[in-house]
Amino acid sequence: MKKVLIAGASLTKVGDHWNKSLLDLAVEAGSAALKDAGIAIPDQIVVGNMFSGFSSLQENLGAIIADSLMLQGTPALKVESSGASGAMACNVADSIIRSGQANSVLVIGVEKMRDMEPNDAVHAASLGESASFTQFFGISQTAMCALLTHLYMQEFEISRDELSVFPVIAHKNAVPAEHAQFRKAITITDVSRSMPVSDPLRLLDCAPVGDGAAAVVLCSENGQTKNAEAEISASAASTDSLNFFQRDDMFDFTATRRALAKALAFAGLSIKDIDFAEINDSYSSVAALSVEALGFSKRGEGVRDAKEGKFDLNGKIPISTFGGLKGRGNPIGATGVYQIVEAYRQLTGTAGANQVKNAKTGLLHNMGGIDSSAAVHILRRVG
Amino acid sequence: MSIAYWRERNRYYRILGSKCKECSAEFFPPVYKCRKCNSEKLAEQEMPKEGKVMAYTLSRDIITGFEDQEPMIIGLIELQNGVKMVAQIADASADQLAVGDKVKAVFRRVSVNGEAGQIFYGYKFVKIDK
Repeated sequence: MKKVLIAGASLTKVGDHWNKSLLDLAVEAGSAALKDAGIAIPDQIVVGNMFSGFSSLQENLGAIIADSLMLQGTPALKVESSGASGAMACNVADSIIRSGQANSVLVIGVEKMRDMEPNDAVHAASLGESASFTQFFGISQTAMCALLTHLYMQEFEISRDELSVFPVIAHKNAVPAEHAQFRKAITITDVSRSMPVSDPLRLLDCAPVGDGAAAVVLCSENGQTKNAEAEISASAASTDSLNFFQRDDMFDFTATRRALAKALAFAGLSIKDIDFAEINDSYSSVAALSVEALGFSKRGEGVRDAKEGKFDLNGKIPISTFGGLKGRGNPIGATGVYQIVEAYRQLTGTAGANQVKNAKTGLLHNMGGIDSSAAVHILRRVG
Repeated sequence: MSIAYWRERNRYYRILGSKCKECSAEFFPPVYKCRKCNSEKLAEQEMPKEGKVMAYTLSRDIITGFEDQEPMIIGLIELQNGVKMVAQIADASADQLAVGDKVKAVFRRVSVNGEAGQIFYGYKFVKIDK
């Protein structure tokens, strides 16, 4: 089996890029990653993006990005899987390299959210839910998630303040991260008393709206121009019912759990081998359900483990090491690629103040919808 | 959106879903295959119009076109046949609602496409007075 190595990586700051377009951001990250890898012409470009047609009236992202990078002739396509678009772009790139079809693939995750009016951004972020069943009625993804959060809190007797623990961890880790959208520490009280968005979810429970692009260059051993320091040991994905309430068990993120099992089996690892994890903490409750599905916490015990420090940067399993979706920000289709870049920094010892000590193996979890799509990557230090 | 609206009108107006001819399971929204037994033998089936509230949220996270309805109450409703669905709960404030409340479907204006544009209708739910 061919190895998939990470040869280069780059990202832009997440936030309000009023002066940069979708294309500006994609080209900035993409060309920096190629330079970092020392590769002039990749064999393939894969773009992770959720809603460029809606936000920027731009599709054919593969061709327009290849053209802008003066890579006309390089095959290029966009991969869309709602919030998991970035990770699924990496999943596709991983497959292309393992199949032997390419020796080097440039993966760019990009999302432009701030060109939209706020309510259009709500709609864009809800495009992954059913057009006729929820969007038609004005029901946003956040409202759907709020219903699940109510049921989750009730089922496992979780208090408002307990729910607030995940955003506090995320923001704490975002403070030293230069590319993070919110570099400000917050308290449990800040979260619990922030503006109600869709009860019980409040403003600080929800990942923010922001623009950004991240890029990595993946290579086979034949494609690298210098000795790579990290590899993708596994890239796996799964799906589940679009509507969480149509599942046999609403409190099991089954797509995540299946993707995890596939990834661990492929890499020949167990969950105990994982040193740190980037999780899909798009909402406080989703963070809790994610650590449970990933096997870091028992069912219903995610928030309590978090409260006891298990997921802190110096805890047993550090999560969201640069702030996660909540603190670093969530440029939706780019997020999965941000996670790869951040894990790459952890594994190569270039994470600065965010460094997890002796990080050899990282797990990345990216989700579309409310776990209707899920992808899990396992990255390892090489050598 | 008009053509899609016309095509889906029975779903919006009558809560028309599916019933499996093999195992009798009912579904809304309609399905392509039975989610219980995988059968492709399906019939149209109107959903019962009453149910109870499993959870509800007062949402200020509003999609364009629904600004004048902010905040909206969105409920997770279990219909009498066990089918679960999400829908707007109208004619009530959040403090008048409780989990377990009985609700019924009503035919309402869902959104209006500008001053001279099309009006879209569909189901919402209201509390049944005891």
